Amino acid sequence: MTTPVLSIRNYTLDYLTAGGPVRVLQDIALDIAPGEVLGLVGESGSGKSSLAWAIMRHLPKNAREVSGDIRLGDTDLRALPGRDLTRVRGRRIGMVFQDPSTSLNPTLPVGRQITETLVITRGLSQAEAWTEALALLGHVELRNPEALMKRYPHEISGGEKQRILIATAFGCRPELIVFDEPTTALDVITGARILELFTRLRAETGVAALYISHDLALVSRVADRVAVMKHGKLVEEAPADRIFRAPQHPETQILVDAVPRPERRLVHDQPGERVLLAAQDISVRYARRRLFRPAPPPATQAVGFNVRAGEILGVVGESGSGKSSIARALTGLADFSGSIRFDGRPIAAGRAMDRQYRRAVQIVFQHPDSSLNPRQKVGEILARPLRLFGGNVSDVGRLLEQVRLPASFADRWPHQLSGGQKQRVAIARAFAAKPSLVICDEITAPLDVSVQASIIELLLTLRAETGTAYLFITHDLNLIRQIAHRIAVMRGGELVDLLPIDAIDAEHVHPYTRDLIAASPTPVG
Amino acid sequence: MSLSWILRRLLLIVYTVFVVSVLVFGITQVLPADAAVTLLGENATADALAAIRDRLGLGDPIWMQYLRWVGHAVTGDFGLSMRTGQPVGPEMVAALGRSLLLAFAAIALMLVVAVPLGVVAAVRQGKLADTLTSLVSYLGVAFPEFVTATLFAMLLADTLQWLPATGYVSPFEDPWGAVRHLALPVLTASVILVAHVSRMVRSETLDVLHSDYVRAARLKGLPERTVLTRHALRNALLPVVTIVALDVGYLLGGIIVIEEIFAIPGIGRQLMVAITARDLPSIQAGALIMSATYAVANTLADVAYAFLDKRIRYD
Repeated sequence: MTTPVLSIRNYTLDYLTAGGPVRVLQDIALDIAPGEVLGLVGESGSGKSSLAWAIMRHLPKNAREVSGDIRLGDTDLRALPGRDLTRVRGRRIGMVFQDPSTSLNPTLPVGRQITETLVITRGLSQAEAWTEALALLGHVELRNPEALMKRYPHEISGGEKQRILIATAFGCRPELIVFDEPTTALDVITGARILELFTRLRAETGVAALYISHDLALVSRVADRVAVMKHGKLVEEAPADRIFRAPQHPETQILVDAVPRPERRLVHDQPGERVLLAAQDISVRYARRRLFRPAPPPATQAVGFNVRAGEILGVVGESGSGKSSIARALTGLADFSGSIRFDGRPIAAGRAMDRQYRRAVQIVFQHPDSSLNPRQKVGEILARPLRLFGGNVSDVGRLLEQVRLPASFADRWPHQLSGGQKQRVAIARAFAAKPSLVICDEITAPLDVSVQASIIELLLTLRAETGTAYLFITHDLNLIRQIAHRIAVMRGGELVDLLPIDAIDAEHVHPYTRDLIAASPTPVG
Repeated sequence: MSLSWILRRLLLIVYTVFVVSVLVFGITQVLPADAAVTLLGENATADALAAIRDRLGLGDPIWMQYLRWVGHAVTGDFGLSMRTGQPVGPEMVAALGRSLLLAFAAIALMLVVAVPLGVVAAVRQGKLADTLTSLVSYLGVAFPEFVTATLFAMLLADTLQWLPATGYVSPFEDPWGAVRHLALPVLTASVILVAHVSRMVRSETLDVLHSDYVRAARLKGLPERTVLTRHALRNALLPVVTIVALDVGYLLGGIIVIEEIFAIPGIGRQLMVAITARDLPSIQAGALIMSATYAVANTLADVAYAFLDKRIRYD
């Protein structure tokens, strides 16, 4: 057997906290063979990022390495003094980060940030590095590399930035590259292209890779082998195609089950015929024309759709496509032109919206951390809509139980709850008003897949109990195909498609819709 | 940064100065000071007062008086001082020059001391160097100017006899004498500036050192020195530009205590004298010149910031 590129043995890591040491990694053992891609999957807090930092020798100050070896080829990384580390980083291990927009220095032209790395890691002269950088950028399919090199990070798109970072990592010709969720911060289609690029470059260069992600479906497509982490332990390691077909460990089984599969519908009924909300020509504009300055284009342009009673209408599209602007318009958070009729009644825009409409249409936001007041206990948060819309404040406990939380949570502060629990509180707050339409704005995006699955299950149960309709905004096409009756596809502020769910594969769909479907990774096997 | 943006900024200066001119003129109108009485003294006859009011146009409507004043002011003519009978404009401009000299010297000294201090404190966060600079900073902020001024004067002028205690010498006449006379006031003014700017540099540097792009720069194998100079400092020092512009305002207006202690005839002190003597033309000229300088300094800072940080787009 050949020597592995990376070999980790019995590695155990603690973080020292005020409450004593906390075990983050326990007896980790893994090998990556030359040219192999190992996928590392786990939920947030499973320790996968800590393992990456341990390999890169960039652990936080309170980390204590308890035992074990990390070897890169025949170099013992743990024994390496700080001065020699710079010879390993970049040169022998590269890294590509989650968020390309924060990984580049905002005040240096991008070309400079590529060449400085090449000069250090490969000992090129400035002129050689410049030529090499041009070649690298061309190789990652970036158009007009000369012009690009002189641009600043804010002048190029997120996908272009990630291509530049990938080009830099490969350009240093390392033995191993660590990819830490490299497509999570990108929209679906851009992410899919980055993934194609990764596969091609990997095949060409034969460099070994550790690919970290929470997305089991995605990892199973790019990795040769997949390792699953849970609570700091490796629970299962298997070839990528087998992990989906025959997961051995119960934790893997949970992860596999939580991956949304479009062909497995979770909603089987049909909504009623009655139109609950009719929106016509909704245009949202955030800034007005000012002296010396033309008005910016509207965030959405004349968007129109209906929501029927009890219907789940999915709204998909990239970031910036205007999905959230629709949510803001419908809830009176943004002014708009156009008309809304609710239960046949015309509704005024913005602040003039009446109380009856505000009660009937509720919203749940993406980040429960910022939508729950940190200075109010859960009980107070839930009592407010009850008081406002004529409910009974003693119903707080019942509301909590409705979202499957113990009634005793009324006495807790938001920061004492997990992300999923907080999102349940936010959902309970929306349902306190007994709404007939709840707008869910990317509410599962910050959550782990298994938590996401349980939140979706909760929403469907609540719908069965109350008959509420949902306007479900998401970028996860696989998820929405499981639950929505109809799907609205948005792009650049316009509604490009509005389809019943069973027509989504049909011939006549918009080319953009087809691209979106093609870019959504579905699990292999 | 487009040309139209710079033009708009320049227009904004004009607008600011216009608003200030209306305020200044308005305030001097409601002040309990009668120009005629100030000029002729308390014992002037009613006829003489009426004659001079007529000559100065004090009987005209206020807006007419304002227009006349502004019309002259834009040509640099702020009238004659009621105290000395000399033209007010040149006197105030000369005083502004002396104040600006003091201000720029203080800012230069502050930058030389505060930036390295803040950076070292951030890099050695939690260590002895950090604790010491924090201590010195807080002491600097805690002492009012007249205390630091007195302490410096006692030590350097009185005990050691190195520097003259008070007075002002023009750098065009006696450069070395000017430096020696400016040393104490500059030292005093920069103490408080060093204190707050070094704190700010420290926290900005800490923020940047914890940013993703500094981590990325380290992990792509750059040596720590390159990471610090090329990636961290460049971004950490940007906000200093804005702070320096704000400090120009502080130094012009707030430095009056220092000008008073060290007997420097700067614009703050001249304005104080004018107010005590109810010398209306001097008050108007001083206030207007000070606010115009402040507006210009802030505009320069905005332009510099936009030039240094390409993310800022003004269009």
